Amino acid sequence: MLTDAYVTGMGVISAIGRNVGENLHALLHKQPGIAAVETGARKEAVMAGRVAFDDETLARNLGFSRFPVSRTSLLGMTAALEAWGDNRHIPGLKTGLISSTSVGGMDKSEVFYDDFLAGRQADYDVLVCHDSGTASERIAEFLGITGYVNTISTACSSGANAIMLGARLLRSGRLDRVLVGGSDALTRFTINGFESLMIYDREWTRPFDESRTGLNLGEGAAFLLMESEKSLQMTGNRPSGRVKGWGNAADAYHQTASSPEGKGATLAISEAIRTAGLTPADISYINAHGTGTPNNDLSESVALKNIFGASVPSFSSTKAFTGHTLAAAGAIEAVYSLLAIREGTIWPNLNFTEAIRDTGLVPVTEPEKCMVNTVLSNSFGFGGNNSSLVFTL
Amino acid sequence: MKSRIFVNGASTISHQPTFGEKGFSGSITRLEKGSELLQPAYREYIDPVMLRRMSRILRMGVASAMHALQQAGVSSPSGIIVGTGLGCLQDTEKFLGNFLTLEGLIPPTAFILSTHNTVAGQISLSLGCHSYNITYTQNTVSFEMALLDGIMKLEEDGGEILVGAADEHIPFLDKLAAEWGYHDCVLTSGVSFFVLSGTASENTLAEVIDVDVFTGTRVDRKEMTDSFLARHGLGRDEVDMVLQDGRQPADDTGFDGDTVDYTGLCGLYPTASGFAFHYGADFLGSVGRDKKVLIVNELSPGNLGLILLKGVEA
Repeated sequence: MLTDAYVTGMGVISAIGRNVGENLHALLHKQPGIAAVETGARKEAVMAGRVAFDDETLARNLGFSRFPVSRTSLLGMTAALEAWGDNRHIPGLKTGLISSTSVGGMDKSEVFYDDFLAGRQADYDVLVCHDSGTASERIAEFLGITGYVNTISTACSSGANAIMLGARLLRSGRLDRVLVGGSDALTRFTINGFESLMIYDREWTRPFDESRTGLNLGEGAAFLLMESEKSLQMTGNRPSGRVKGWGNAADAYHQTASSPEGKGATLAISEAIRTAGLTPADISYINAHGTGTPNNDLSESVALKNIFGASVPSFSSTKAFTGHTLAAAGAIEAVYSLLAIREGTIWPNLNFTEAIRDTGLVPVTEPEKCMVNTVLSNSFGFGGNNSSLVFTL
Repeated sequence: MKSRIFVNGASTISHQPTFGEKGFSGSITRLEKGSELLQPAYREYIDPVMLRRMSRILRMGVASAMHALQQAGVSSPSGIIVGTGLGCLQDTEKFLGNFLTLEGLIPPTAFILSTHNTVAGQISLSLGCHSYNITYTQNTVSFEMALLDGIMKLEEDGGEILVGAADEHIPFLDKLAAEWGYHDCVLTSGVSFFVLSGTASENTLAEVIDVDVFTGTRVDRKEMTDSFLARHGLGRDEVDMVLQDGRQPADDTGFDGDTVDYTGLCGLYPTASGFAFHYGADFLGSVGRDKKVLIVNELSPGNLGLILLKGVEA
């Protein structure tokens, strides 16, 4: 019998809080983290979800002093430490770490490059933080994890793919226990990037609303500690949920845009439900990708109708709380999905007033108490990388 | 039961005559400073409309992928898995320059092409392939991570998996290497793609016996290597060829077989072990059954990659 991936620890830091408790409180009380953020001397402030602590404070709170270090690593360490909790390294229990990031140490590299281009004294040392693999190695090193340390970079679906890979490694017996998640810092690189694509909303983002015009970026990190049955017997940890199904499919339509018929998304969702051994009727809540861009929300809505027909389950996007945290999004929303099961609550989709005309889907807009047994979480990204996960108790 | 893994297609674009040159491992010599990348006629592999918009790493990656798939007779693989240490550097640098210096509207193309998963995405687009698609970026063991996932995918679902390595050089890297005190390195670009299958064919070059990765600085590499070989009942004296990166510490020799410094052949880039994998498979494709090749990748002090290949019957 193949082992399930049991979740025994969760950690998250985002614009709505520095730990699971604070994020939960904000979701329950509809307290968003989106605000005007300064991004440089020559630019107007943009609406974004910034974590409320600077690098020095994050490092101090962790008791960490090995500089230079990227903000992406610091955010990741904060969430990974919360998920790891007071677990210990046990001989005979193979423990790995899979993180994901889209920017890596770009928060430091862009400062370097600005100085470099302008001919000012530039600090080459910060470039040791640049590459994405190093961001994860620093997190692993901080927690004393050696052996299997890996990083996924599939843009906005990275976090979901890290969870999927972790579950597969447990199932194959290559690992017994694995921290999986993602981390991304806000950078001028990504803010300017999404602005250049004309999909950055100057206002507060409005996922699944007819009037939506784009996303707000956010930053943060989240990790899950997942264990096999063998590991549970040795640690004695009690699982709070399971990663039951996963699907990964390519849209193969366009480098950045999603197909109008939601091809890749439909394939990823149906694969996730199938591998979970469930049917669409079993899904109690969908934590949607719902970035607030005209293209994503329409394509995702079409995919939901492809799968669920006229009976689309309760769904919402939590991105109007946190902003789109790119590679961290799939991991942060995995925590929110597991919290939905634990708390028996569906999280509200903020800023919704009018359904998209072509699809007519209406998300949940108030925290809704109900039995949540099974959650589908979607993450779709650039490059047509689409992934979906199914969580159960 | 674990499935067997065969290499049924292999393609590399490098400074050496590797592209479409079966048996190259028997003839190539150490890379000369100032040598150029040998690039194929991309138009034979890539749609001209797409080709015009592609950066160098994308051209190299897509052409190499198509070439490997052609050899294996696969039109749409059941998975596309790419490892890249530094991603699409040329467009990353270009977009940095654009938003830091340009006023007003910034063109989005460089941003679109800057993400690490662009190579794998462009392959799926070129093939119209909706299969599993993923990109790993773990420094110098990114290729090994892709290979390990390819093996897991074959164990899970069978089929044919495209696994590749891609990294590109930009002149800034030379400046950085000088600042950090690395001299005499030939930093360059390279891509390699392979078709892995559970079934051997007449095009099979080699069999993948195992791959392992280890991250962490405090590790006895010699012991790791020995226990990796011991898992397959092998001692150091039973490996016919050992491919080592040129940064290998000199004290870890002690192999009876031929040792080859692969970065001396292909230059330095984070996924150079992809080149070594092709070199080893090409060697085994020429010499045949029961020969064994070990690839030891210690390009970065914090990461160890180990790959064991075996020849197949003609």
